[in-house]
Amino acid sequence: MSNALEQSFVAQLKENQNIIHKICRLYTQGEDAHNDLFQEITIQLWKAFPKFRGDSKFSTWAYRVALNTAITLYRKSSKTINTIEFETGKHFVSQDEYNYEEEEHIKLLYKAVQQLNDIEKALVFMYLEDKDYEEISETLGISEVNARVKMNRIKTKLKKIINP
Amino acid sequence: MEELDVLKKDWNKINNYPRVSEQEIYAMLHKNSSSTVKWIFIISIIELSFGIVLGIIMSFTKFDAENIKLLKGLGIYDYYRFSNVVIYIVILYFITRFYIMYKRVSTTDNTKSLMNNILKTRRVVKNYILFNIITFAVLFISLGSYVFEKGMEKGFLENGGKANEISLSFHLISFGVFFIVATIFVGLFWLIYNLIYGRLLRKLNKNFNELKKIDL
Repeated sequence: MSNALEQSFVAQLKENQNIIHKICRLYTQGEDAHNDLFQEITIQLWKAFPKFRGDSKFSTWAYRVALNTAITLYRKSSKTINTIEFETGKHFVSQDEYNYEEEEHIKLLYKAVQQLNDIEKALVFMYLEDKDYEEISETLGISEVNARVKMNRIKTKLKKIINP
Repeated sequence: MEELDVLKKDWNKINNYPRVSEQEIYAMLHKNSSSTVKWIFIISIIELSFGIVLGIIMSFTKFDAENIKLLKGLGIYDYYRFSNVVIYIVILYFITRFYIMYKRVSTTDNTKSLMNNILKTRRVVKNYILFNIITFAVLFISLGSYVFEKGMEKGFLENGGKANEISLSFHLISFGVFFIVATIFVGLFWLIYNLIYGRLLRKLNKNFNELKKIDL
């Protein structure tokens, strides 16, 4: 029985589930799609878990596998990306510092990020998570220079989407 | 401030994520994955078993016995059996490849190698489809035209004709008719494969385009 393994996995995943929720938020819209992707990521993580040796933190390893799952293995809702309204208000604004203009701006930003392709979203995710370029390049398997170039292109692209 | 930095500020403020309980995680571990590569693997197995079951059912019918008799009568039964064995070996090889790819694709933590695996999968699926269609076409046309010709000849002779009376145009017309029939069948076969695997391939295709964009 791999019961101990399963227990340790479940405990660690429960501890670190926010990182997966964050990925789901960038890659899906709507509660159902979010939960579907969360489940798919959980399955893939569990499959990959025997290979996890603990050289890195669980959270680091988990977000990498999770990103790859989001990028390539799961595409159910890819067609609906531009048609469903992105519900920002409910999720992303804290009530205490309510600022209408800023809220609208952030809403637009999230919408713009939704229009990026899956790889670009992965870069945005790692940027938002404060990963350095070394880690970004390692995760994506590209050179650091390339990662920087991509990042700059994404920033330009986002600007263009917001101010056409 | 840069757009992404505005976003980052907001990103770190959010903390109202859903909470998934341990029980729910346990339940998820025993559910099935819905990945594209897994479906390719499953469909290829269904396809193979369908072929085998069809073969077994056919072997109980009179049709099969007559076919074998005909093939034996023409002296090509051994070739037919040999090609069957080769085909099944190749198909089994493809299925093994699909399985290995499925295992590899599902658990990687490096995007570049994942993408390469997906590209490889796409290539293998395409080769698999190509192999199936070409085998079908070759078998159908070579074996079929041979049987068809011989059958026509036999019928001609039985109806009182003599072998040297069979004109060239008779051969040409019968071959022409057969060629059209064969084209239609191969076309149908191609259509079916595209319906089954086309959807899955399109999904992988999107990945391919994104891989090109990232110029790894």
